[in-house]
Amino acid sequence: MTSFNVIRWIVWKDFVTELRSRETISSMVFFALIVILIFSFSFSMDQQAAREVIAGIMWVAFAFTGIIGLGKSFSSELQNDCLEALQMVPEAKGAIYLGKVAANFAFMFLVEILLFPMFVILFNLEVVEGISILLLIFFLATLGLSAIGTLFSALTVQIRAREVMLPILLLPLVVPVMIAAVEATKGALNGDPLAMYEQWLKLLAVYDVVFTVVSFWMFEFVMDS
Amino acid sequence: MTIHRVIRKVQRFQGWFGSGAALCLGAGLYLGLIGSPADYYQGEVVRIMYIHVPLAHTSLIGYTVLALGSLWYLWKRDPIVDNMCQAVAALSAVFTALALGTGMIWGKPTWDTWWTWDARLTSFTVLLLILVGYLMLRTFVDDPEKEARYGAILAIVGFVDLPIIHFSVEWWRTLHQPQSISMRGVSISSGLLVPLVFMSIGMSLLFSYMLMVRTQLLYLDRLLHAKKGRLLSQFHLSKSDS
Repeated sequence: MTSFNVIRWIVWKDFVTELRSRETISSMVFFALIVILIFSFSFSMDQQAAREVIAGIMWVAFAFTGIIGLGKSFSSELQNDCLEALQMVPEAKGAIYLGKVAANFAFMFLVEILLFPMFVILFNLEVVEGISILLLIFFLATLGLSAIGTLFSALTVQIRAREVMLPILLLPLVVPVMIAAVEATKGALNGDPLAMYEQWLKLLAVYDVVFTVVSFWMFEFVMDS
Repeated sequence: MTIHRVIRKVQRFQGWFGSGAALCLGAGLYLGLIGSPADYYQGEVVRIMYIHVPLAHTSLIGYTVLALGSLWYLWKRDPIVDNMCQAVAALSAVFTALALGTGMIWGKPTWDTWWTWDARLTSFTVLLLILVGYLMLRTFVDDPEKEARYGAILAIVGFVDLPIIHFSVEWWRTLHQPQSISMRGVSISSGLLVPLVFMSIGMSLLFSYMLMVRTQLLYLDRLLHAKKGRLLSQFHLSKSDS
């Protein structure tokens, strides 16, 4: 098997498991809906107030649901010692990492696409002009979250209290992604000119590149046993 | 069992670091609290800077040492390097928390608020969160080898992340509101600089001294556990023989 095949099989395997169990995506979507509901109660927003905080609410919901998906990504491998089987793959461990990143990214992005119309309807947003740039922001920020999140999902899966430790370790490290995604989304929703929030897109792109490389390298040490 | 040669070196030299720290900190405190004039703008409050600034510098140096030590550990897998990493992480966390605390005490009379989402304050808080996360992670892993490896990975990723966090927070603040209070532009006079230099050197020496003691402690603890394991297995073997 070449490394590329490893990546492809891992993505295929994760998709098939998800299609058969429908556990991850459905729990992510429902959790996000509950988060949105709680937020709209706790802020009691009118349309004007909603414009100010909606980008923040959106990314908090996406990040929290992302953590659910990321946590399941490796904890599902604990059944039947699948993790040991993965560790025995003769190719470089980085291929497993890339496959898992691709699958996690796909799940998170899909959930975001499903949830975004909810935000548009519930908070009465105007998105028609900014939709392409919004998709670009979603793409870059989700890639950043899944690049570093996959590493920490693999790292926390074999320790005690892993459900608690994944967000505790992950959230401080993704502070730049959260700030950049919220600021860029806010700009795009307000219809600001691109030059005003372009730097956040650049920051997201830099973050993605840096942490895909660093996590790819560090993943070797996580799987090393 | 022989003691590791690094630990023997540490045992020989740590006294010098300890007494050097005591001398520098004593001189710095005397100059800072009694010998130097109060600041024209800030008054007596400025004196807390003699503790705050060295604490902040030292904790950043500590985090750099942690990241370099973690790289070294992943490369050589020497358990004594991991003992050093664990010691330096705990010390950096304490120094970071103290830097934040003294900064808040200084900020109350100067800025008239305990807390503001200033770029440096925010990135220091995130640094503290990463260090506490590192220490928590270590307590949740059962296997010592795995504990060391996972800790090293987190420390390296966090170290790479730190400059990006700082830049993003700085941009975020400057976009929202112009930084209302800035330390820039307040040039420092030599009367204030001399005690600050003494305190900085003293604080670094104190950090090194505490690091040496703590590393030794963790190392001896590991030896003790190994010895205990061996004795227990010998005991069980001798029982099964009879």
